[in-house]
Amino acid sequence: MKNAVVWSKIAVSDLKRATAFYEKLLDGKLKTETFGPYELALFPHAADGIGGCLMKGEGYEPSAKGTVTYLAAEPGIDAALKRAAAAGAKVLMPKIALPGDQGYIAHVADCEGNRVGLFAMSFNLLYGYMGQISFGHAAFFGVGAYATAMLFTALKGADGQIGVADFLLSLLVGPPVAALTALFVGFFCVRLTGIYFAILTLAFGELLFYIVFSWYSFTKGDDGIQGLLPPPFFQDSTNFYFFTLAIVVVAAAAMWRITESPFGYAMRTLRDNQRRAAFLGTNVRAHMLANFVIAGAFAGVAGALWGPFSRSVNPTLLGWGESGIAVFMTLIGGAGSFIGPMLGSVIYTMLQAVVKMYTVYWPLTIGTIILLIVLFAPGGILGMIDKRVQATRARDGAAEAEAAAAARAEAPRP
Amino acid sequence: MSPNILEVTGLEKHFGGVHVTCNINFTMQEGEQAAIIGPNGAGKSTFMNLLTGYHRPDAGKVMFAGREITGLPPHRVVRRGISRAFQVSSIFARMTVRENVRAAVQAQMRATFRLFASGHSLGAEETERVLAMCGLAGKRDLVAGELAQGDKKRLELAIALAGKPRLLFLDEPTAGMSIDEARSTMELVDRLNRELTLTVLFTEHDMGIVFNHARRLTLLHRGEIILEGTPGEVRADATAQKIYLGEHHL
Repeated sequence: MKNAVVWSKIAVSDLKRATAFYEKLLDGKLKTETFGPYELALFPHAADGIGGCLMKGEGYEPSAKGTVTYLAAEPGIDAALKRAAAAGAKVLMPKIALPGDQGYIAHVADCEGNRVGLFAMSFNLLYGYMGQISFGHAAFFGVGAYATAMLFTALKGADGQIGVADFLLSLLVGPPVAALTALFVGFFCVRLTGIYFAILTLAFGELLFYIVFSWYSFTKGDDGIQGLLPPPFFQDSTNFYFFTLAIVVVAAAAMWRITESPFGYAMRTLRDNQRRAAFLGTNVRAHMLANFVIAGAFAGVAGALWGPFSRSVNPTLLGWGESGIAVFMTLIGGAGSFIGPMLGSVIYTMLQAVVKMYTVYWPLTIGTIILLIVLFAPGGILGMIDKRVQATRARDGAAEAEAAAAARAEAPRP
Repeated sequence: MSPNILEVTGLEKHFGGVHVTCNINFTMQEGEQAAIIGPNGAGKSTFMNLLTGYHRPDAGKVMFAGREITGLPPHRVVRRGISRAFQVSSIFARMTVRENVRAAVQAQMRATFRLFASGHSLGAEETERVLAMCGLAGKRDLVAGELAQGDKKRLELAIALAGKPRLLFLDEPTAGMSIDEARSTMELVDRLNRELTLTVLFTEHDMGIVFNHARRLTLLHRGEIILEGTPGEVRADATAQKIYLGEHHL
């Protein structure tokens, strides 16, 4: 898969000051060059990676107006912002990081952090509160992204520009299309639980991936859809950042409200004991399906924002690898709590940034980490902190033994 | 004579070649309190599973309050007004005692699809009432999985009562309880039966409890009803002595 984005520039007015700042921020050296009337400071980058530079010269306004700036900050947004603050910058200066390569989400700046956090959270609704793992969740993210990208492409003018109203309209179409897809997939998946549920969601996710990948006339196949340039106001990284932040805040508030609603508590009863939940009068499948659709809709919100942010969409967005990342983030942070996946997304992103500085064996590293977490800290980071969660985990063993005893007691005897 | 709230006719269930429920005919009147007894494996739990939709009967008919409920899934049976408490406490181990009961209250209110209502305040009063009734008010903030065995069984009963049933099935309600806990639990059941005309059907291994708290007994053996009658009649019956009561050294 090719990257649509190959270079990032940050406009500066004082190259020396900016170079010092970014050297502090990145914890690395920048290489200064001149190019005609322009002064550049090149970021260090691997031969097969994506590079960028600071740029001073005519037409480059440090206010970021008219210029979209892609900045890769390492090893994580908190550390980077801390260093930025130490360098004398405003902590909320929204420099946006670019994914290191497609297939990973290596965001460090807030904007990407928020997006990924949102994605992991909608997954959390499935696993943390309902007790099921979906490995096909990226499909709903991807379907939302494609729905928005297709409408975006249809609405934009011949000059590649799109009006604000049309832009917002194209964003609005992502969540419901993702929700409808989740309704269809969920109809089959909620008939199963546990590993069977996980495998079936994986199968559907891959199915959707191959449909998008192969149906060239409709989806442009592995070329993806390019040229999703938002209206000028949203091209400004600051504006897009706050636009995204506002949506994330609203979505997170809605999610929080749902997890604390009667529906949210019904989901907890399903997680703990499905049979008993049915004997409360809860229609188990209907509730699981509703939850699946809600989680799909939130993934669709994240997907809708993705296209205009990255200016393109491609089939890998639907792949199981993306779903796996959401599962990893949730496992690391701790499932079943609201901020666990958000914490997990920050840790995952920071870890990836740090590890990739030293080794190319990132998958091996994260695999080992996940293994250790599953074996020794099944509650994730929050589980280690929260004693109550840990104590409950210990009791789950006893509860399972009881459930087994109940199953034996209920088994027919001659 | 009060009308029959429960009418079971010709109920049959096989598991493979094993006949676990054989042509059971059984009725209960509204406000009755009755017990099903029988040795292990007599089919008591299976009978309750068949009545509450956990198993589908192979033949026969179950009528509840004048309407047929044969083969309905558990959640629809429950909505008609039947609750059950399980033999091995079947609670929501990671939720608090209060959350357990409140979730049951909200399910009874059919509020579980309300996405934006407050899960904390909806049904809170009723939750407190049920907690107090079952003597769990002081333990409302404990995680259910942490409770002692007797308290788990009381929570089990509280969850069942939160469903505001007309008919309540209790599968060994005092198993694992201390003598005091068992007494107070059965006193509560008696009181609910008396004051709310709640119809109660329970199974129990403790014959003392059975004879003190059931006004009618049904003896099951190998999936068949062997005998029905008052405690006195059953105690005096030679077959009952031989099949079951003898084991209990009465």
